[in-house]
Amino acid sequence: MSAFLESWKLGWHVVVRNWVIYRKDFLANISPTLADPALIMFSLGLGLSPFIGEIGGYSYAQYLAPGMIATTALFTAFFECSYGFYVRMTFENIFKAMLTTPIGVKEVVIGEFMWVFIRASLMAFGVSLVLLTLGLVPNLWALAICPLIAGFLSLPCAAIGLLAACLVRNINQFQTVYSFLIAPTYFLSAVFFPLDGRPFLTGLVQLSPFYHGVRLLQCTVWGEFPWAEIAWHITAILLFTLALGTLATRQVIKKLTV
Amino acid sequence: MASSSIIHASSVAKRYGDFEALSRFDLEVAKGECVGLLGPNGAGKTTFIGCLYGVVLRSSGDLTIFGHDPALNSRAIKSRLGVVPQENALDEGLTVRENMRIYARFGGLTGKPADERIDELLGLMSLESKSDNMIRMLSGGMKRRLTFVRALLSDPELLVLDEPTTGLDPSVRHLLWEKVIDLKKSGKTILVTTHYMHEAEILCDRIVVLNKGEAVGVGKPKDMIAREAPGFVGIFPTESEDELRKHVPPEWDLYQQSDQCCVRAPEFGDLITLQQRAGIDALQLRPANLEDVYLKLTGHELEEADVSIS
Repeated sequence: MSAFLESWKLGWHVVVRNWVIYRKDFLANISPTLADPALIMFSLGLGLSPFIGEIGGYSYAQYLAPGMIATTALFTAFFECSYGFYVRMTFENIFKAMLTTPIGVKEVVIGEFMWVFIRASLMAFGVSLVLLTLGLVPNLWALAICPLIAGFLSLPCAAIGLLAACLVRNINQFQTVYSFLIAPTYFLSAVFFPLDGRPFLTGLVQLSPFYHGVRLLQCTVWGEFPWAEIAWHITAILLFTLALGTLATRQVIKKLTV
Repeated sequence: MASSSIIHASSVAKRYGDFEALSRFDLEVAKGECVGLLGPNGAGKTTFIGCLYGVVLRSSGDLTIFGHDPALNSRAIKSRLGVVPQENALDEGLTVRENMRIYARFGGLTGKPADERIDELLGLMSLESKSDNMIRMLSGGMKRRLTFVRALLSDPELLVLDEPTTGLDPSVRHLLWEKVIDLKKSGKTILVTTHYMHEAEILCDRIVVLNKGEAVGVGKPKDMIAREAPGFVGIFPTESEDELRKHVPPEWDLYQQSDQCCVRAPEFGDLITLQQRAGIDALQLRPANLEDVYLKLTGHELEEADVSIS
């Protein structure tokens, strides 16, 4: 048990390290995460709303809002753990030094997940706050819950990023991962249009942790509570975290030890 | 295994598929001892060092450091170990102090005690004026010294230095070797790899020469010279080989090295006589040293595979 706690403590040191680096370039680091959803809300939300009318009783801006919080979690986690981790591992070589200290590979992975959880939650909080001021997040209760959902959603997305970082042969291959995995997930997981009446797509996106996060956020923001469905999405996210997290940890161990 | 043994390695091997990077490697390092690992690039030195703290998982053999197996409990080892890896791997975008604080924290040192320790070590490495400089603005020698600071933050009992002075100018190299001698005097156990034979000869209590993954010679520098390459070496122009060969007895050593012809004889006087008989003046006459031992044990020539350019 004490070894387990020690691992988390050492993982926390990795979080502190990432934070020290991150804050050096704070504005450049947070602006894309906030600018992207803002741009989508403006272009699609405002621009398309008049043509689309209502979806299930919501304006298009209202429909898009929860998806933006989910998107923040997805992109924060995926990019941090794919490009970010790859650069730390390959170009900056920081693990060659870090692993000579009491930090082990397990603590590196724990640290990455903790760091992503915190970052994604804070970014999601920022986006939720903006949406709240626009009247698209209904109340403070939702403002508190959304970052938490985003934090848990970021974990399987981080695992996918780590898997990509370990399996790509060079940095250009992340573009392939993005185009054929992340982008389809992003565009097809009910962020931009409802999946009602599309059984094939609905079935397919169950395989993506992102979809489950989107649905949880939609339920929270829209104030709808189909409890059975919510339970399924929570379970799915936890299972994806466990499965992908285990796979990613194995790959990182393989990559950092020989 | 002696109770004072810091490193105990017995038959340690590391295989990558069919390739054996390290084979049947034995080593005992006692507390306070300084042991040098010498050998060509690819001989297995860094592989062995990786085994010590668990980033290289050995294929077979027994290995304990401070009584712990690195494959099972590397954290217990790493809390008492300081490593200067071949690559500095410093965080270039941070200041010296920011980066050292991070590493102090990894070793469990935070706040004021961490800053005091950092200041003390920066002073030791003559970097005290650089604490607020960005690491990317430091020279190569300063970065290397900073890597020493990093390795010493947790006041480790065992220091592992992987080519600590490669690529540095002579003054930085001497400074670093002086620090290593001081550290040794302060009672630290040291394992060092280097290509600088002269310094290894002075610094190391014992030398292990590795070649192609195997230990090909072990001993105190003086003993190894006496055993493997005793006597004196005369260095002659390369074209004098044929003429010299007529006068050199078969029990002496004659070989080409760096486009020079080297002759090793038992006595200094033998070389003087050789000069007179052959009518050739040597470029240099000197006592045999660790470099002669090294070259003898690892082969005077590069492997064919290394030199063939087709």
